[in-house]
Order: sequence, then C-alpha cells, then structure tokens
Amino acid sequence: MAEVAEKRLSIKLQEIHKLIRAEIPWEPVGPTPMPEPPDLRSWDMRLMKTYAPWYAPFCDVCCLCTYGKCDLTGGKRGACGIDLSAQQGRIILLACLMGCSAHAAHGGHILEYLIEKHGPDKKIDLGPFIEIEAPNIRTVLGLKPETLGDLKVAIEYVYKEIAHLLDSTHTGQEGSYLDYESKALHASMLDHVGMEAADLAQIVGFNYPSSVADVPLVEMGWGAIDKTKPVVLVSGHNPATSTVVVDYLREHDLEDNVELCGICCTALETTRYSDRAKIVGPLSRQLFFMRAGIADVIMTDEQCIRTDTPQEASKVGTAVIACLDKAMYGLEDATDMDTEDIVRRMVENKEHFAILDSTKAAEVAVRVAMEIAPQRRKQWITTDEATELAKKCTNCGICEQVCPNLFSIGEGITEVAKGNFDLIKKQFNLCIGCGKCEQECPNHVPIFRIMQVGASMETWKARVGRGPVMDTEIRNVGAPITLGTIPGVIALVGCSNYPDIDDIADMVDEFARRKYIVVLTGCAAMVAGMKKDANGLTVYEKYPPDFDAGGVVNIGSCVSNAHISGAAIKIANIFAALPLRANYEVMADYVLNRVGACGVAWGAMSQKAASIGTGFNRLGVPVVLGPHSAKYRRLFLSRKEEDDWRVMDARKREIVDTGEPSPEHIAYVAETKEKAMVMIAKLCIRKNDTPQGRGIKLNHYVSLYKKYIAKGLPPDIQLFVRRDADIPLVYKKEIRAYLQEIGWQPKEPVGLPTLIGTYPSKVPLDAVIH
Amino acid sequence: MSAVIPFHRVNVLTGLKAARVVEDATEYANLIGKAKRPLLVLGPLLLRSSTEGKLLLEYALDIARARNIPICATETLPGKVEELGAKPDSSYDAVEIVNALKDPAWKGVRKEGNHDLVIFFGIRSDLGNQSLSVLKHYAPHLKTMTLCKYYFPNASYSLPNFKKDEKWQAFLESLIDNLKKGV
Ligand code: SF4
Ligand code: SF4
Ligand code: SF4
Repeated sequence: MAEVAEKRLSIKLQEIHKLIRAEIPWEPVGPTPMPEPPDLRSWDMRLMKTYAPWYAPFCDVCCLCTYGKCDLTGGKRGACGIDLSAQQGRIILLACLMGCSAHAAHGGHILEYLIEKHGPDKKIDLGPFIEIEAPNIRTVLGLKPETLGDLKVAIEYVYKEIAHLLDSTHTGQEGSYLDYESKALHASMLDHVGMEAADLAQIVGFNYPSSVADVPLVEMGWGAIDKTKPVVLVSGHNPATSTVVVDYLREHDLEDNVELCGICCTALETTRYSDRAKIVGPLSRQLFFMRAGIADVIMTDEQCIRTDTPQEASKVGTAVIACLDKAMYGLEDATDMDTEDIVRRMVENKEHFAILDSTKAAEVAVRVAMEIAPQRRKQWITTDEATELAKKCTNCGICEQVCPNLFSIGEGITEVAKGNFDLIKKQFNLCIGCGKCEQECPNHVPIFRIMQVGASMETWKARVGRGPVMDTEIRNVGAPITLGTIPGVIALVGCSNYPDIDDIADMVDEFARRKYIVVLTGCAAMVAGMKKDANGLTVYEKYPPDFDAGGVVNIGSCVSNAHISGAAIKIANIFAALPLRANYEVMADYVLNRVGACGVAWGAMSQKAASIGTGFNRLGVPVVLGPHSAKYRRLFLSRKEEDDWRVMDARKREIVDTGEPSPEHIAYVAETKEKAMVMIAKLCIRKNDTPQGRGIKLNHYVSLYKKYIAKGLPPDIQLFVRRDADIPLVYKKEIRAYLQEIGWQPKEPVGLPTLIGTYPSKVPLDAVIH
Repeated sequence: MSAVIPFHRVNVLTGLKAARVVEDATEYANLIGKAKRPLLVLGPLLLRSSTEGKLLLEYALDIARARNIPICATETLPGKVEELGAKPDSSYDAVEIVNALKDPAWKGVRKEGNHDLVIFFGIRSDLGNQSLSVLKHYAPHLKTMTLCKYYFPNASYSLPNFKKDEKWQAFLESLIDNLKKGV
C-alpha cells in the first residue's frame, strides 16, 4: 500500500515539476509547489490558534438542501450533521470561492483574448525596474512565468483548485469550521494568484504603465464629462471591452468627438490605457449616474455591474450592450449579427443586445452613441425643479427603514422642499447608491433625481493605476519597513460600501502626513481623490506617487491587489533574500512577523472583497473593515490578554513568550473611521521592530489615540513597550509614569521572530534565517 | 417567536430565535436588577443629543450610576465618558467585547467573573445586531438587552421600534427612575 501511495505522489509531483519547469534553477523548489488544501493547513491552523474565527451568524438556519431548512440554534445540528460554526465556515468558503472565481475567470478571459491577439509566447516584460514579475505565482506555484502562455498555467491551476474546494461545500462533507476556514484561506490565496495573472496579462497585453511611479493624473467626476457630446460609459472590470473602444476612437479620429467614461474598476483600467478616458466614480455612483441619463450607451462587462442595467437604462433612453458572457441579461446575442442591423435596431427600436465580440461591440457602441445623442435630453436638475419635486415627500420614514447605510434621505428631501440643500449634500456622501429608498417610497418621490442637487459638479484628479511596486523601491524601503522606521504600509482597498465616502480621503491624508506608505486599489483608489483640501488639492496632488514614506500610490483596479500582497512578498524575497519559490509558509511567516502592513477594506461589500481580504490574512497581513462588514459573518480576532504570544527566536533557537499581541487581530471591524485609524496604527506593530522603529510606531498609536479617543494613554500601551528605549520621546514622561504605576517589567526584544518551530510544519527553522 | 420587524430592514430576522419585546420600564429595571453582573456596552451613537439637547451618553451613565454597572466604552467614547466624570471599565470595541463575553470562563471587565446580562446601547444597528448574534449563538451563559430606539431581533430582550424620540426618552427616564428607586 505504502509503495502505491508513494508512487502516486511522485507521479503527481512529477507533473507539477513539469508544469513549473522545476529543472530551471532560478531558485530551489520549496516545500509546497502548486499546493492543495492540506499542504498549508498546518499554517492556517497555527494562524487560527491565535486569531480564532469569530462568527456572527447572519441567520439561524441552513437552507442549502431538501433535508432543510434546519434550525441550527442552541447547539443543534442540521439533518446532515453540520453545526452552526461549520455552516458559517461553509458560507465563508463559498463567498471566498465566488470572489476567487470572479478574478480567475476574468484572468482566464483576458488571457484568451490577449493570446488570440499576441500569441502565447508574448513575453512578460514589466520594464527595467521589475524583475520579480509575479511574486504570488512564484511563491504559490513555484513557476516563474515568462510568457502569456505561462500565466495560463497559473489560471488553470486556480480553476482546478476551485472545483476541488467547491466540492467540499456539498451537503455531507467537511464537518469542521477550522477546515472550512483553512479551505477559505486557500481559496483566497489562490485569488491573489488569479488577480496577479489577470493584471500581468493586462499590463503586458494592453501596454499599461509599468516600472514608473509618476503616472498621469486623470479627470474624475461627472462634471468632467462633456454632456453635449455622445457619451459611452463602460461599467465593470474587464478592459477587453473598454480598450477596444479607445482603439476605435483613435483609429477613427473621434477622441475629441465622443466622451468615454467608466464606472467601477473598468474606469481605472481604461485610464491605464488612455489618460483621456474619464472616471465617473466608484460602484456606489453607478445607479445614480445611470438614472441621470448622461450616458448614451452603456457597455457592461463583468463583476460589480448592476443586474438591472438594461431596465434602468431603458427608463432614460440609454442603449446597453452586454459585452461578456458572464452577464447577458437575457438579451439577444448579436455577436454574429450584421453590424448595420444591430446599430439600426438599437437606434430605431431602442433594443439592447449582447455582443461578445469586443471589436464589434466597440464599433456599435460608438456609432449608436453618435446617432442617439443629439436626440436625447440630458439635463441636470435645477434647484427649483428639485424643490418642487421634493414637495411630494411626506417625510414618512419608509426610505430610512430600507436604507442599508441606515440614514434618512427623507429628511434631506424634506429640507430640499424648503429650499435648503445642505443636508442632501451631506447625505449624498453617505449614499451607497442602492436605490432601495426610491423603490419603496409610497409617494413615488424621484429621490435619485432630487439627489442631483446634492451631487457636486466638482471635478477631481485621480492618479492612474501604476501596477506592481518596483523592485528598486522595495530595495529602498525594505529595511525601514522591517525595522519599523517607516511606520507601516497602509493598503486601502475594496468596494464603496462606506459609512461616508469622505472617510477614505481622510484616512489617506492622516497616514500619508504621518509618513506611512499609502497604497490604494479599486473603488478606494477613486474615492481617495474625490475630496479636496483647503488649497483645492486631492491626496494624489498633495503627496508624491512613490512607494516610499509619505507616498500615495494608486496601484490599480481590484485585480491589482495582487501587487500589494506581491510587494509584501518582495520585501521578504528581495530585501531579506529569502527564497520564495513554492515557499508560501516562509513568506507568510515573514510578513506576519516582520512587515508592518495593514489592509483597510472600509467599504467591503462583495465576495471578491472577502477573498481579497482573506488572502491577505493567510499571508499575514491584518485587515480592518468597516461596520457593514460584520455582515460577512466572520472575523479573525485574538484575545490579547489570554492568547498565546509565544514565538520562536530563530537566532537563539528558543521559544520566547513575548506577551506582545502584534498584530493583535487579522480581520477586524471598526464602527468609526476614527477608531479604525487608531487600530490601523496599532496593527502595524511587529515583533521585530527596532527600538527606534517601535518608538515611531507607538508615537503614532498614542497620538492618534489622543486625537480621536481620549486624553490619556491607550490602555494596552504596556503590552507594546519592551524596553524603555521603545518609548516615544514625546510621551516619555507620561508613559514612564504609567508603566511604573502598573508595575510593568521590561522584556528582551526578539532577535528573529518566527512562528516556524512553534507548530508542526515541514519547514525547517533554518529556512527563515537570512 | 415574535413577529416584530426591525426598523432597519437589513436587520430582519432570518430564523427562529428572536428577542422578546419589553415596553415596560419597570420590567426592564427588574431584569437589570436581577442580574448579578450586568455590563453596559456603549457605542458612538450616544454622542448624539436627545430632543431635549441632553447627550444620549448621559442617559447611559445615569443607568450605570444607578446600579454601579460597569461600562465598556467602545470606539470614540472613552474620552467623552471621562469628560462626564465616569471611568470606562473597558474600551474594547463591539466585536472584541463579544469575543471575550462568549467565553464563560472570562473574568469580566472588573475581574469579578463573566457577566450575566449585557446591555447594548448606541451601536449602529447592523453592527449591533451582528454582535448580538455572536452572543445569541455562542454565549448561552448570558442574556442580552438593548436600549436603542429600535428593535434588535438578536437580543434576548429589546425595546420595540419607537416612532417618536420623546417616547423612547421617556422610557429611558423611567428606567433610570426605577433603577434608582431600587425596583
Ligand atoms: S445542508 Fe445540512 S444543515 Fe443545510 S439544510 Fe441540508 S441537512 Fe440541513
Ligand atoms: S419614503 Fe418617500 S415620502 Fe417617505 S420620507 Fe422617504 S422620500 Fe419622503
Ligand atoms: S440609495 Fe442611498 S439613500 Fe437610498 S436607500 Fe440606498 S444608500 Fe440609502
């Protein structure tokens, strides 16, 4: 038996070695090439020993099979035997798989498209300053991708794993919440592989900026769109659609005649291709902008596009083209239809179509926009009109009850009826654009139309997404980040389900001013630019675009998140010279213990945000989420006073009880941006901080606490002071007095902290010593 | 099972175990009075003012003072609590305090043992209801109650949805009176 098992394993391993070209010795192949769920399970279990899953069930029952519904309250198990915690883990895994598959399928489609265009041998060249082109793929698969064809190997591996993981959610299989979470962590690590493959393909295939920090600033906001011209709006994430529109406009010399704008990540993608394209805004502005009727044609692709796009567009006479098979809306597939016929039917009959050939879709979009624009009325509401319309509101409060951001737009409308627009302006920043209020209003108040008076016509500047952090930048900041003298890397990512849209710019400003490195992607990257300071500058104009202390960097769209995890891996690989090839556990252990980075998904909404965040968690990066995110059902929290904070000091080869909860949590929900900022500063603390670095980090933690929470000291400050030298100068007297009062005792800092050696792992301790 | 629909529809109950609505301040005072180790978990919405211009936090502190109930001041509250002359016993945030509370062996904020009644007040309703879900499912050793204006299905006891702020504030005043009287 044993022989058979060994043989089978070796054939499997041989196959993997073939796929990753193991014979090319750019680095030795580490212990986990193309890992499957069990391969990194012990790392996950170690993580969850400290950061136990915290479950807030969204419902009391399970309704996934015909045995049910099953009541899972009070310790009861379902008819299949599952308990409430495992059921939560199952739902989390499903969410992470949805997120992972959205990005992987995006990558798969882009690759097909670009391989068709350039061939599979198109080289991956990210410019002179990026040699480690694919840190996630190198680390997870053990493959150094050189061509578009190689990226397909990565995507196909992700596809295979998705099937395997999804299988385990079927009724009557996995029974442990910890194993479900380990699988969710696996799916989410794979998400970063899929995202990386997708964005590398895009950068190479569409010639996006790379190896450059000073990328252009582009215009943002509906005020930037010339409504007198035909307007094409691209919506979603996949640039295979929008770049072709740019090409069409260039080829036909129409760039001055037609406005091309984007919403959500496609906007970011399009501006990476052409800085003449404009960004309307994040997902939360989608329905509002659609209902404003400014777009003559909407081209949808995938992910984060509203499912009622054709219906909403019809109401305002906008034409719709569904460009990808992921969302066809029940529309007639016109891919093989004659272009003239499609244009005619769209113009004359106001029909919408699915067109899965992007060249054809682009031509149709531009031509239809040019034909219908002159006939359409695109008027922003006047204050008088708004006041008149608002009089229909009886301030009944129904809209407040259905508002997912829990505020009363009815109150704002009531003020508008009195000619007062201040409240609605403020509320526009709270609105996540779901449309529930207008749907439920018993008086049919046209809330979105009235909201136009609250929507600023101002225009802003956003920096174009610049893709991976350069290796040269990593070399410069590797030491200060790991020593702690750059107090942290703050990554603001994810969707626009914000308590207040201004929160993002405020957080960016706070941390950039304090000389943290701030990186952004997705909706967060857009909205960061949607606020101006007293001098009329956005954070993109105010701070340098460098991955360095005090820099504010737009990395790109959602799939560009892989470059943030990639940057963390590159610190371990380039700066600390640890081999990354098929060496995930070592990379994650390094990041968790030594890289002071913190993700912030303040408006996380989607399943993609769940997998992006969970992927960061497996890599050892903590993530702070906004209040809505308690509805994801699961966090990873420690209990600082009770938990085990022992680490191995790899230099001394002994286990040390640090008592130091750093990082304290890896998935956390804060209710206010103020508290979030205090927590973010705290979550950047790492055990290997030098006294100087620790002093700087504590300085920010204490000063943010004093600024936003209370006059005194954070009540857990003693846990983070190892020796007197750690105490920040400014607060020396106060902290010393407090430490003395509570009987604090100094402890030795750990020379080389690691979790390797504290749990069963195939990784030898020597593997983390550099 | 109660059929009360929460004011904020995102909190609508999917399931079987819903909070009992209590409209009588004396009954609430009794429930609090009977608890051996109650805990008040206060949230940032208490920094808003009542219709009479009184800070909502003051109601919470009056309740705490009436029965020497320990306070967990979440988020940005600790400074204000101190300004008003009280001292928070804990400054855990909502998700942290419920994480501790679900452990029956936890010593509680005053190290006197875990709490048997946890009173939520001033946390935004989606986060509040989710945090209460943690306790509903994983802390059978304690009961929960809410003092906000709206119904929270995941609590053990909740106020109804008050249409008027005045009625809700009257409830709070009456609760404070009852607690002071030692009802
Ligand atoms: S999957 Fe299990 S818990 Fe869910 S309905 Fe079926 S038997 Fe019940
Ligand atoms: S639901 Fe309609 S009528 Fe009622 S408050 Fe809201 S906008 Fe006004
Ligand atoms: S559209 Fe805006 S105001 Fe209306 S329910 Fe949604 S978030 Fe609330």
